[in-house]
Amino acid sequence: MGNTGWMTAAVLVFLLTVAVPSGYCQEKATGDGKASCLKCHGGKSAAKKFADGDSVSTYVDPKAFDQSVHRSLRCTDCHREFSDQNHPDRSFRNKLQFRVRESRVCRDCHPDKALKARAVHEALLKKEKAGEAVLCTNCHDAHAIAPVAAGPSSTAETAACLGCHAKEKEMQFANGEALSIRVNPGEIMNSPHKSLGCSDCHFGFSPQEHPRKRFRSAREYRISSAEMCRRCHYDKYSKVSEGIHHAMLSVGRLDTPNCVDCHGGHTVVSLGKNRLGVVKKCQSCHGKVYEAYAQSVHGRALFNEDNRDVPICIDCHSSHNIADPAQAEFHNYIPDTCSTCHSNAALMGKYGLTTDVVKTYLSDFHGVTLSLYRKQPDKRYRQPNQAIAVCTDCHGTHDIARASGADTQALKSRLLKRCQSCHAGATENFPDAWLSHYRPSLTVAPLVFVSEKFYALLLPLVILGLLFQIGLDLWRYLVKR
Amino acid sequence: MQTHEIEDNEERFRRFSTYRIVEHLALIAVFVLLGMTGLPQKFHTVGLSQRVIHALGGIDSVRLLHHIGGVLFGGLLLQHIVVNAAGVLFLRWQPSMLIALKDSQDALQNVRYYLGLADGPARCGRYTYKEKCTYWLILIGAIQMVVTGLVLWFPVAVTSYLPGQVVPASKVIHTSEAMLIFLLVVTWHIYDSLLSPDVFPLNRSIFTGYLDRKRMKRLHPLELAQLTGETGDTDTPTDLSAGRDVARKPRLLGD
Repeated sequence: MGNTGWMTAAVLVFLLTVAVPSGYCQEKATGDGKASCLKCHGGKSAAKKFADGDSVSTYVDPKAFDQSVHRSLRCTDCHREFSDQNHPDRSFRNKLQFRVRESRVCRDCHPDKALKARAVHEALLKKEKAGEAVLCTNCHDAHAIAPVAAGPSSTAETAACLGCHAKEKEMQFANGEALSIRVNPGEIMNSPHKSLGCSDCHFGFSPQEHPRKRFRSAREYRISSAEMCRRCHYDKYSKVSEGIHHAMLSVGRLDTPNCVDCHGGHTVVSLGKNRLGVVKKCQSCHGKVYEAYAQSVHGRALFNEDNRDVPICIDCHSSHNIADPAQAEFHNYIPDTCSTCHSNAALMGKYGLTTDVVKTYLSDFHGVTLSLYRKQPDKRYRQPNQAIAVCTDCHGTHDIARASGADTQALKSRLLKRCQSCHAGATENFPDAWLSHYRPSLTVAPLVFVSEKFYALLLPLVILGLLFQIGLDLWRYLVKR
Repeated sequence: MQTHEIEDNEERFRRFSTYRIVEHLALIAVFVLLGMTGLPQKFHTVGLSQRVIHALGGIDSVRLLHHIGGVLFGGLLLQHIVVNAAGVLFLRWQPSMLIALKDSQDALQNVRYYLGLADGPARCGRYTYKEKCTYWLILIGAIQMVVTGLVLWFPVAVTSYLPGQVVPASKVIHTSEAMLIFLLVVTWHIYDSLLSPDVFPLNRSIFTGYLDRKRMKRLHPLELAQLTGETGDTDTPTDLSAGRDVARKPRLLGD
C-alpha cells in the first residue's frame, strides 16, 4: 500500500498542476458572460432590424462557436460595448453597415501587417484602400470562425449544401437550357480546393441564405461562376484582364475561355505540370493551330517522346495575359520568345543545336533594325513602317520544321517567298544574302570570310603603322630641338 | 598653278585653287554627315549611338540621311575623277599626286632620318609621300565605299546578276573600309594637318589656298625651289625685284 499511496499522491499533484490552468480556460470561455448572452442569443426567433427594413437573425450556434478557433474567447472580447448589465440598442441603416461595423473588431487582433503575409489578404486590403467594403466575416464567418483552409464549419456547411446538391436536379435558364446542379464531393476532395467550404467560392450562399439568381443561358452562368476565382486568385485575374481572351469577352464573345473553361470547376486542377494537358486545353478552341503544332519539330517531340524541353502553347503565348499575336508588338518580340530556349547553351547542347542562331540574327540587318526600333525611347517610333522578318517568318509559327535535313528545300523555297513579300523582285540568289545563321567560313560564304579576315589584319596594321609613324615624327622633332 | 605673293609683310604661296578649297569643304561636310549616320549603325549597341539615332528621328531617317550623304559623296568622287583626268589629259595639269620612284626614296630617307642615320628629313615636292599615300588610300577606299554602298542599298537588283553572298561581303567591306578611312582621317590626317609640330595649330592652306614661306620651306622645299629657283637651303626671302614672274593672279580652277 505504501508504494501505491505515494504514486497516487504524485499523480494527484500532477493532475492538479496541469488541470487547474486548463480548467481556468474553460471557465473563461463558458463563464458567466457567454451563458447569460445565450439566454437570448441561443433562440432562433429573435432578429435585429435595420432602418431599411432588412434584418439579421441574432441566433448564435453555441456548438459551432465551441468548435471554432475562438472558442477560448468571451462574447465581450469581441462585442465590447456589451455586458450582462449593459446592452445598448444600436441602430444601423442596413445590413452592410452593421456587418462592416462588427467586422472591424477582428483587425484589433489581426493587424494589417500580419494579414498581408497572405496574398489573398493583400489583394483584399488593396481593395479596401480603394474604398470597397471588405468584411472578414465574408470568408471566415462570424461565430463559427474557422481558418478558410479546413474547419468544422466548412464541413457542416458542405454537408448542408450536399443535402440538395448531391441529388440529380437541374437548374433552368431563361433560354430553356438546363444544367445539372449535382456536385460530386469526390471531385472536390481530389482537387487543391479540398479544404475550402462551398461558400468560400459560392459567396453569398450558406445553409441559411440561398439567393435566387437568374441567367439568360448556361454560358452566362459559367462566365459568372468564373468571377468567383478572383477573390483568391486576384493576381491571375488581373493578368487575364490584360489578355486577348478577356478583351474578346468584353466585346461580347461569350465563347472565349475563362478560368473554369481551362481549369475546371469542382474538378479544378493546376495545369502547370501537365504540359500535354495544356496543349489539349488550347486545342479545344484552336484546332488548326494544334494540328500544325503536332506536326512541328516541337510538337512531335512532345507527343512522341514526352519531351519536357520543347515549348508548349503557354511558353510562347503565356498562360493568363495572352497577348494578341496579330499585334505588331507581339511580332517584334518573337526573337526574345525563341531565344529563351535557343540562346540557352546547356539546353541547346543536349540536341546538338547552336546558340549562334540568335546571335547571327541579332547582328544581321533585320535583327539590328528591329532592336533599334525597340530601343526607341518614344513609343510612337517603336513600330517599323514595314514588318521586319523575325524567326517565325522564315521558320513558320506553329509548323516549325527542323532546319537541317530533309526539309531544307521546303525551307529555302519558303524563304524566297518570304523575302519577296518585302523585297519585291527578289531572285533565287537573294536569300543567300542572308547566311542562314552560319558563321562565314571558307566553305560557307568564302567571299565574306576572306573580306573579314583581310580587314581584321589590315585595320590594326594600318592603325599601328600610323601611330608608330606619328610617334617617330614626334620623337624626331623632340630630339632635333 | 603655284602663285607667290607678299601680303602684310608675309610671303605666301598659292597652293590650292578655289575649286580645291570648295571641294575639300564639301568633302568635310559629307564626311561628317556619313560618319554621324554610319557609325551609330555600325556600333548600334552603344548607348551614344542609340541617342544619336533617336535624335536624328529613328533608324529610317538615319538611313535616309546616310543614303543622301552617299549620293553626295558619290557625286563628289565622280566629279573629282572626271575633272582631274580631264585636267591632266587636256589642260596640262601636273599629275603631282601620282606616286613616283622618288616617293619611295623619300620614305626610305625619312626612315633613316627617324633612326638617326640621316641628317635631315626627305625634301619633298608639291605633295609629300605621306600626303600621296593618304590621298590614294582614301580615293581607293572611297570607290570601294560607293560600290559596296550601292550593293547594300539595292540588294535585290545586285543579286539578280551576282551571288547572294556579295551582299554580306559588301557589308563587311563597307563597314571595315569606313573604319579604315575614319581612323586614317582622325589619326593621320588630323595629326599631319592639325597637331603635328610642323603645322600646329592648323595647316590652313586648304581653307585659304596659301602657305607661308616658313612652312613651305619645311614641308615642300622642292616645290619652293621650283617656284622661286631657290635651293631652299636659306631662309632669305625671294628677291622679288629679280624680275621672276611669280605673282600671277590665283586661278579659280587648277591642279
